[in-house]
Amino acid sequence: MRLKFKPSTLVAIIAVAVGVLYIINANRGVAPYSVANFGTVIVVGAALGGIYAISAGGLVVTYATTGIFNFAHGAIGCFLAFSYWELHVNRGWPTLLALAAVLLVEAPLLGLLLDKVLMRRLRNAPLVVQLMVTVGLMLTFMGISTTLWKPITPRTTPAFFQGHGVKIGDVTATGHRITTVLVALVIAVLLRVLLYRTRLGISMRAVVDNRNLAGLTGARPSVVSGASWALGCMTAGVAGILIAPETGMVVENLTLVIVIAFAAAAIAQLKSIPMAFVGGMVIGLAKAFTSVFVSFGTDWNYAQEAIPAVILFIAVLFLPQARLETGSVRLTKRTERLTTPKEAFLGACVMVGLVSAWANGWIPWFSGTNFGERTEIWLGRGASFLVFGLIMLSLVPLIGWAGQVSFANFAIAGIGAILFTHFGGQNGSPIGIVLVMLVCAPLGAIVALPALRLKGLYLALATMAFAEFTDKVIVRHPQMLDPSATGRLYKPMKLLGFQMSSDPADRKAFIIFLVIAFAVLFFLLEVLRHTRWARRWIAMSDSPAASATIGVNLITTKVAVFALSGAMAGFAGCMYGLSSGSFRVDSFPLFLGLPLVLLLAVQGVRFPVAAFMGAIGLASFPALFEVLGRPSFLTSVELIGPGIAAIVMVYRPEGSVFYAGRDLAGLLPWRRDAREEKALAVAKERAQDITKDEIGELGLSRPFTIEKVAQLDRALNIADEMLERPTIGMTLDDVEEVTGGAPVG
Amino acid sequence: MALLSVEDVVVRFGGLRALSETNLQVEEGRVTGLIGPNGAGKTTCFNVVTGLQEPTSGRVRFDGEDITDKSPFRRARMGIARTFQKLEAFSSLSARDNVLVAAEQRRAWDRSINPKAVTQEILEKVGITEVADYMVGTLPTGTARLVELARALAAGPRALLLDEPSSGLNEEETEEMAKLLRVLVKDGLAVLLVEHDMSFVMGICEYIYVLDFGKIIATGTPAEVQADAAVQAAYLGSAAEVVA
Ligand SMILES: Nc1ncnc2c1ncn2[C@@H]1O[C@H](COP(=O)(O)OP(=O)(O)O)[C@@H](O)[C@H]1O
Ligand SMILES: [Mg+2]
Repeated sequence: MRLKFKPSTLVAIIAVAVGVLYIINANRGVAPYSVANFGTVIVVGAALGGIYAISAGGLVVTYATTGIFNFAHGAIGCFLAFSYWELHVNRGWPTLLALAAVLLVEAPLLGLLLDKVLMRRLRNAPLVVQLMVTVGLMLTFMGISTTLWKPITPRTTPAFFQGHGVKIGDVTATGHRITTVLVALVIAVLLRVLLYRTRLGISMRAVVDNRNLAGLTGARPSVVSGASWALGCMTAGVAGILIAPETGMVVENLTLVIVIAFAAAAIAQLKSIPMAFVGGMVIGLAKAFTSVFVSFGTDWNYAQEAIPAVILFIAVLFLPQARLETGSVRLTKRTERLTTPKEAFLGACVMVGLVSAWANGWIPWFSGTNFGERTEIWLGRGASFLVFGLIMLSLVPLIGWAGQVSFANFAIAGIGAILFTHFGGQNGSPIGIVLVMLVCAPLGAIVALPALRLKGLYLALATMAFAEFTDKVIVRHPQMLDPSATGRLYKPMKLLGFQMSSDPADRKAFIIFLVIAFAVLFFLLEVLRHTRWARRWIAMSDSPAASATIGVNLITTKVAVFALSGAMAGFAGCMYGLSSGSFRVDSFPLFLGLPLVLLLAVQGVRFPVAAFMGAIGLASFPALFEVLGRPSFLTSVELIGPGIAAIVMVYRPEGSVFYAGRDLAGLLPWRRDAREEKALAVAKERAQDITKDEIGELGLSRPFTIEKVAQLDRALNIADEMLERPTIGMTLDDVEEVTGGAPVG
Repeated sequence: MALLSVEDVVVRFGGLRALSETNLQVEEGRVTGLIGPNGAGKTTCFNVVTGLQEPTSGRVRFDGEDITDKSPFRRARMGIARTFQKLEAFSSLSARDNVLVAAEQRRAWDRSINPKAVTQEILEKVGITEVADYMVGTLPTGTARLVELARALAAGPRALLLDEPSSGLNEEETEEMAKLLRVLVKDGLAVLLVEHDMSFVMGICEYIYVLDFGKIIATGTPAEVQADAAVQAAYLGSAAEVVA
């Protein structure tokens, strides 16, 4: 590895080191720096680190060999750990048999299934779809685990080699911990050898860049990607089973190990197995060190849990700038006509009309149910669904147009909600809303700043880490939210003679205010879509390289959209505060924000109207509950539903608003353009299907540098010339002539 | 002095030297050709000039100024524009909006233009007004290439780099493109052209560089280059391609 430090990097390293030392020193606990205490740190830290290393290693292997970053890695590990508990503890299978059944049978089968049904189709999908599907998979596995193993029953898995241990000085290394470290080492070495020394491994790495190249090595691409996922699931299972005795059999805890694995994987730049091991160890030791020597005091009670998020941020800060990749532009199959401002205005009116009609009881459906009768509970729910709709709306320009996948907006809304209690919300003054938006706009940009120079994936990771950090540290600080404060945090807000708050008496006015605010923002976004700002964001998302070469400053362009989105999330946060009335310190968990992003994506993240549909989607679960008379199976549907819906995006990547819009518009007699465009898209789709294999693999980028791959490169140059361009160009043209209808300039 | 010059540029990808001490100069008011077999390093050279690829060593100069350390968007604002071998059109925008984005961006440093008017003018010049309102993702590859060309022109370049612009075009369209390029260089534009269609190259270029394995193996007028023994040797392996 070549280490090159620029002076600025050196300054940054020193600054981070000084900062860390200062924090450690300022929060020094009582434990002296004794040999025995350091012994404990090393024993505990190495064991934790081992688990993180296994988890990160699995992530890196699947990413390096399939190009898909698996957000569900932790949730799959959790599911497998519960399977192990079921067989070993609940059914009494012997340890080895249960381990073999889970790790050698269930895990690989699960991996093969995932590969066949989802991952193979996801390989060439845009990053947004890849992220949504794997995050959806994560929520699905969490839902399945919670449904199969109800959290009411307490469960424990026994540690391995209980009662055995080695005493080193005053410190005892338990059998489980020694096992963990050894297993981690063995797995790291095995993975490394597999990837670099075996034929299968080399094909696996080649697949990421080029399927034909992999073909040259003699391996079938489908076998190779199946093997990658089987391997990924096995490592996830090992990590899950080993960590269960440490975290307890709790779905959220087991799943959240993923955030730690992200940090280790980021240290490994998502590609180096040995560095993933090192990264895991660094995080494990840092956690052990702080738990022994550092006492964060009551104000920062949960700071310990935010260490991985902080390490992830630091790692992201030091990653080298990404090259602007070319050759990854996908020819989209879709067509669309922009909504005109007039249509948008009509749409906004319909939204206001629908919701106010429901709130006033002018819609007679479902009468006899709580939903139909608009009880206080339902009016309260209606308000919060609209608030969630506002959060989704804030994501449309960010994710839908600029292609920046952020999981931070729910956290930013949470911060906004709490800031509003300080900025006037507690007096019922609306001016505070503006102040909150002014704080949240730069906040959105600052959160994203370190990741902006990097690949989009790092942004998703960093924002997820920020959401976790917000939940564990920011909102739990007593200066932000006083944990002893009970009751209302907000006074009713007065506007034009109406009162708005979570009070049952104010709810109707509040809902109508919310839907008007939503409709106004919706309309403004639709207008914004016609301006140069939105055009530039979309251009940047389609091809960052081409945008840069026409003079677009990518960083300022991104910062602008983050600021807009942050301000909108801040506004949503103020409304969230007003509609909830009060919060607890644990009101803003990461897992509450993720479904919002997924639901929006499922509806069609590029379309502002999808946020409204998303809010209706949120309402539909509890509404169905009421209407169907509270059947119990719906509970699991509610848990698993959003995840499944997101997974379906593999097949419907544009979102339901898009498909519905295209098909419905074609039915209108005066929308000949819609019918034409659809015919064009279908023809193009067919043409692409026929020539997909040939076209997709032209033009090569091969970042691998070692000997073996260099040989492959040489082999490939020959193949490259055989696959000369003219033949392929002709194939495409022929197809277009056959299918007809495609205009040529 | 040449408007754009590449000086002793080396680019390494691990063990592979994609460019080794490459030198070339692009003058205003003419089309300069850059040809060579597949994998010779032509696209890499474009990437170095436009700032998408940092060279291992060597300098790039534009209008007398050393731009080696400038970011891609600054180079674009100085007047370097390009098209891509593998399509990089903004596929979810309409053809018109593709061009408009570039024109609007240009207003950031050139207040005198009216983006909408410039866009319309360029769409006409390139001959894609008929498809202007289709999303580029739904257009045939050849047409999408023309959209890329129009977009590059809308940025108001002084130097234009074209990476295999004729692939995906039929003979007639290629002829149209040659005509357009002649008009553009007459107005003083500097064009650097990478192209496999030899009759196109030989017909339009005033000066040609031949690249093989990252090295310039021959330079000169089309006639000189065609007569060069080294060039014939380099192309022998892919003779079929030259004919095609
Ligand atoms: N990002 C990259 N990483 C590794 N090798 C690369 C990369 N880009 C190009 N190459 C290699 O550099 C050489 C030159 O490629 P390129 O410039 O695309 O050639 P040309 O455009 O002349 O066909 C080829 O061998 C190619 O495989
Ligand atoms: Mg090329």
